[in-house]
Amino acid sequence: MSKPRVAIFDFAGCEGDQLQIVNLEEGVLDVLGQVEIVTWREAMKEQSDHYDIALVEGSITRKGDEERIKAIREKAKILVAIGACATIGGINCIKNFQDEKFVRRYVYGDKAHWYNTYAARPVSAVVPVDANVHGCPINREEFVQVLKALLQGKKPFIPDYPVCVDCKKAGNVCVLLKGQFCMGPVTRAGCGACCITEGAYCWGCRGLVDDPNMDAARELLGRFGISAGEALGQIRLYDGYGEEAR
Amino acid sequence: MGGDMNLAIIEKEGLHLFVAELLRRKNTVVGVKDQSAVSSIPGDSGFYTYAPINSPEELTLSFDVTLIPPKKYLLPAYEQLLTFNLSPGSIKADAPKEELIVFGVHPYDIIAINQMDKVFSTVPQDNHYLERRKRTTIIGVDPVKIAPRAFWSSMGADTVAGGFDLMLTDIGQCYVMEVGSKKGASLLKMAPKTREAAPAEVKERDKVRTEARKRCDANRLSFSYLELPSLLDGKEEHVIWEEKSHLCFSCGTCNLVCPTCYCFDVRDDVSIDLKKGSRYRTWDGCLLSDFAQVAGGGNFRGHRADRYRHRFYRKGQFIYRRFGDIACVGCGRCSAQCPSDIADPIAVFNRLKEGI
Repeated sequence: MSKPRVAIFDFAGCEGDQLQIVNLEEGVLDVLGQVEIVTWREAMKEQSDHYDIALVEGSITRKGDEERIKAIREKAKILVAIGACATIGGINCIKNFQDEKFVRRYVYGDKAHWYNTYAARPVSAVVPVDANVHGCPINREEFVQVLKALLQGKKPFIPDYPVCVDCKKAGNVCVLLKGQFCMGPVTRAGCGACCITEGAYCWGCRGLVDDPNMDAARELLGRFGISAGEALGQIRLYDGYGEEAR
Repeated sequence: MGGDMNLAIIEKEGLHLFVAELLRRKNTVVGVKDQSAVSSIPGDSGFYTYAPINSPEELTLSFDVTLIPPKKYLLPAYEQLLTFNLSPGSIKADAPKEELIVFGVHPYDIIAINQMDKVFSTVPQDNHYLERRKRTTIIGVDPVKIAPRAFWSSMGADTVAGGFDLMLTDIGQCYVMEVGSKKGASLLKMAPKTREAAPAEVKERDKVRTEARKRCDANRLSFSYLELPSLLDGKEEHVIWEEKSHLCFSCGTCNLVCPTCYCFDVRDDVSIDLKKGSRYRTWDGCLLSDFAQVAGGGNFRGHRADRYRHRFYRKGQFIYRRFGDIACVGCGRCSAQCPSDIADPIAVFNRLKEGI
């Protein structure tokens, strides 16, 4: 049986998730033993239109992106969104709450008229997505887990519980107990609570769980003296395309 | 010295030397440390955690409660159960081999371990747990500092009759050390500067315990905990479940920090070449939204209130009916760590008792 052909594509994003794949180091060789990478702009010059699995990083921010992702979707048997920009829209969506013309001028200056952008959105807003590897950046181990599940023909395990679970398993002190704010109770786990383990709080980069308790979140924020506006800002940092941020 | 002392006295300096001796003999000793000494995060100071110790100075015996109970050594957060090859097909079970001394376990946590022993030795018995349990030495210690949310004095968990190898009580100048097993008796022989406890010292231990129990009574169940199974009868439709669970994040914190919660999920991890793999288990919790989800997507407890109620019934009634134990020991970890502060069993049970 020939190896599954994999193509890696990028849209609006920092390419940090592709960098995470490169950062697998010797793990990349294990992956390459099982799949054939036929397109990957960041790491090779060859490219091909024949692939089974498309890994897509970045959000969709232009009409042209839409045509391109639709063409990829048609060719790929399996399409996987990797990284917050692709899975939930990510930080690109911050601009969705600002004046479009101002944002374009701010970024592109007097060449703003060359770029016809629109509100940023996740890949799933344009084409069906088979699996999401969440995070900003993605967790390398989780990426490999998802890839392995796909190679086995299994549905990848993507947690639908809050970061608190990972945090307890890691043995961390709850950030809230220390009187600090944290997005953990409404944010999808799978990251191993890496930020809290390192002494920070959860910023919510993996997006909200499927059924976040926003009433409880508002109540909690109130206890920390955080206004609804500030809370909304925190959600919009990564999940601006999501229902709760609008 | 020596003999068959059941209640011994060990000087504080002697205890120090005892721990040093255990370490010198290459025992793996875990004890309670300030969390900041483990995490290196300054803000973590004032919270306690079980971690390996390398010297007697690292050990704290005057802690109030640890963030995570000692169950993490008997039922680790992640535990590999077996490895397998896919072609040719073969399976090899993992056998825990590590010997461990847990130095400083409060009575309520020992009671919780005793409950787990019962659960995991019931057919089908859990060999991984039982093997770890067999290889774990438990040195108990009576609490001197009371956690702000603790209520173990209401749960019959202020003292424990068995389940420990040694049990220490700080009576001021020295510790009373009770022997709870043969293993404990041979350990005691290793301890320097011990002697048999005098009746006055045993009395002093009772005083220390009574005093601690009184302070713990600041949070109290308004009735005997033995009434819980009957109290919960017919309360399934009580408004409290909807009311309280309105603020439930379904984050499972109450389960994961509970010393009597033992549920786990089993998953397989296959190597990238799909030739071999391992099966592991990891902590699960009945408050998590997918806990009771089954193939096809159906969920027996799809609503927050159902999951929230389930936990209290499990603590107060279900485990009692199956194993004869009330599955809450009053450690107060769930009360203290729930992000919305809705998990406190005292608040819920007392209100059900009031009937409003």
